[in-house]
Amino acid sequence: MRTNYRTNSGVRFEMLSKDQLEALFNGVLHTLAYTGLDVHHEEARDILKGIGAWVDGIRVRIPAYLVKRSLDMAPRSFTLFARDGNPKHDIHIDPGRGHFGPGPTPPNFIDVDTLERRPYVKDDARIVATVCDALPNIDFCESLGTVSDVTTELAASYEFAEMFPNTSKPIVAWSFGAEDGEDIHKIAVAEAGGQEAFEKRPTYVHYCEPISPLLSDDKAIDKLLFAARHRVPLIFTPCPIAGGTAPVTAAGTIIQAAAESWMGLTLAQAIQPGLPFFMGGVLSVMDMKETVFSYGAPELSLMMAGVAELAHYVGLPLWQTGGCTDSKILDAQAAIEGSLSCFFSALTGGDLCHDVGYTESGMTGSILQTAMMDEAIGYVRRITRGIEVNEDTLATDVIHNVGPNGHYLYEKHTRKYFKTEFWYPNLCDRHSYEEWEAEGKKPMRDRVVERVQDILSTHQPSSIKPETRDAIKQILAAAEQRVKDKE
Amino acid sequence: MSEIFEQLATFIIEGDDEKTPELVQKALDEGLNAKDILDNGLIIGMNEVGVRFKDGSMYMPEVLMSAKAMHDGQELLRPLLAAAKVKQSGKILMGTVKGDLHDIGKNLVSMMMEGQGMEVINLGFNVDPEKFVAAIKEHKPDVVGMSSMLTTTMRFMGHTIKAIEEAGLRDSVKVIVGGAPLDAAFGQRIGADGYGYNAGDGAELAKRLLA
Repeated sequence: MRTNYRTNSGVRFEMLSKDQLEALFNGVLHTLAYTGLDVHHEEARDILKGIGAWVDGIRVRIPAYLVKRSLDMAPRSFTLFARDGNPKHDIHIDPGRGHFGPGPTPPNFIDVDTLERRPYVKDDARIVATVCDALPNIDFCESLGTVSDVTTELAASYEFAEMFPNTSKPIVAWSFGAEDGEDIHKIAVAEAGGQEAFEKRPTYVHYCEPISPLLSDDKAIDKLLFAARHRVPLIFTPCPIAGGTAPVTAAGTIIQAAAESWMGLTLAQAIQPGLPFFMGGVLSVMDMKETVFSYGAPELSLMMAGVAELAHYVGLPLWQTGGCTDSKILDAQAAIEGSLSCFFSALTGGDLCHDVGYTESGMTGSILQTAMMDEAIGYVRRITRGIEVNEDTLATDVIHNVGPNGHYLYEKHTRKYFKTEFWYPNLCDRHSYEEWEAEGKKPMRDRVVERVQDILSTHQPSSIKPETRDAIKQILAAAEQRVKDKE
Repeated sequence: MSEIFEQLATFIIEGDDEKTPELVQKALDEGLNAKDILDNGLIIGMNEVGVRFKDGSMYMPEVLMSAKAMHDGQELLRPLLAAAKVKQSGKILMGTVKGDLHDIGKNLVSMMMEGQGMEVINLGFNVDPEKFVAAIKEHKPDVVGMSSMLTTTMRFMGHTIKAIEEAGLRDSVKVIVGGAPLDAAFGQRIGADGYGYNAGDGAELAKRLLA
């Protein structure tokens, strides 16, 4: 024991000062109270008006005290549970803990056999879930696409129905609106054994998106209301495009994104006090030469770090972004952009870091990119774990015993620590030239493809209950009927 | 009887350098044949270690503990095998060449060789050509292994081979080389019989040359 001795656990990262964070915070409060947002949803406006927001037509302005109260109501620490009770697949949201997973809804997917880009199909949701279930550094599952080969209105319902049986890791679900949101919820509730059981151990999070700048449509709000009323943890995440749909400056974009997200927070907490809520979203730039929303820009990592610090300053967990790229294929660009944003996200302790596996500026999902990033995240996690300093790790006795010109390979100390002190790659090659040559001189891309195909041919996710299987069939049949009835 | 052999193989895989020699002694006390103990116990275990190291499920510190257990167990058998005139798996003379103080690479190869059942005489580092020649005369090894870590000391490998030739000993030994700056072409150029690219490969190379 020592006195007056302080240890740093892990790597320290801090960008904004308390004064800067306070300036951002007050900027958000100012925007919510003076500018306000357009809320295209009458019921939502009534709820907000009922708790003291100022409503003028569709414009809603929220006074600072209401926002602060809502921030107080939302928890900073909670757990998202594995559907099969496997504690290794639980996600503990807590300061300093970063988690990673894919993102929602690109129209295209990189076929894992042909490696060609094509529309996303239902079976891809199974593929993504199975691979996410197996990858050790991927903590939650999201689909990486919008299913194109089913009844259009039911793309999200089929997507969840394919993912849920193929991973026990928590899922982030997306839907068009409340009806397909309910299909999804029924599946999770069937497995949990009822609504009450689900509330105690939620296994999925619902993802909603406001529109930048400062607008929410009825569908996004419908979803929010449904999730809040059924105590489904909620993500409310805008995608402000700096220079296009948000100010060109990082600070301005952070303020606008927070205002958009906190309208959702205020509404959700009004309906369900204490609902777990993730602040979003994806903050990046409009490339002024290509007019794309860049998923590989350094400003994405930078703005996400800023919004992460703001979220943690006000006591909210963050829906972080990383592991994504503007590249079209699994190449060096994809590795550079994806790895650096994963590293930055991990440094910020971004609570759920999504879009791991986004390529082509969000237009194409690639589970190959996710698998390559799994390696990068493992690498990053070794760095952020930091250096442990204690009597045993200082090793002065061991140094003394081995002495000059000895070696440490026979030491008990070496055997005790060599597996935990060092990270061992799965995909990065450290062979001798001769061994690398003997194994066919495989580049990273080939090793990633092999790993994904190997997982798909061998990995068995834990199964769902037989009654849930039946429930899924019934829920999808009823959903098809619902769509038919509307025609 | 087969239970003792299986247990020996398990101790080798676990790298238990205390229980392995104990059990070898017990096996001898029970009247088991030294060659059987070696072939059906120790070597079976060490072969499995080789397989596991190659497929990535065992790591170097574990392999070296297995090699040490193997070596310690075999020390008890060596005089008995010699008395019974059983051909043993070879004597290797190892050293880091003149001017070079790097030790661990050469030691790793030595430990791997011992794990394969070979007898290793380790001359240490900064070994000049004359010392190699004198040691060959004294120990009569089957193989001489030279290591170098530096581009500046590599050339002493050639000098040493020349010294061995001049002493008229070149035909009595195989010469193998290894070390970070080397490659197979360099080995050929200086007239070595083989080049090993890492510790495991060096031990395999020696085994092949002894066969």
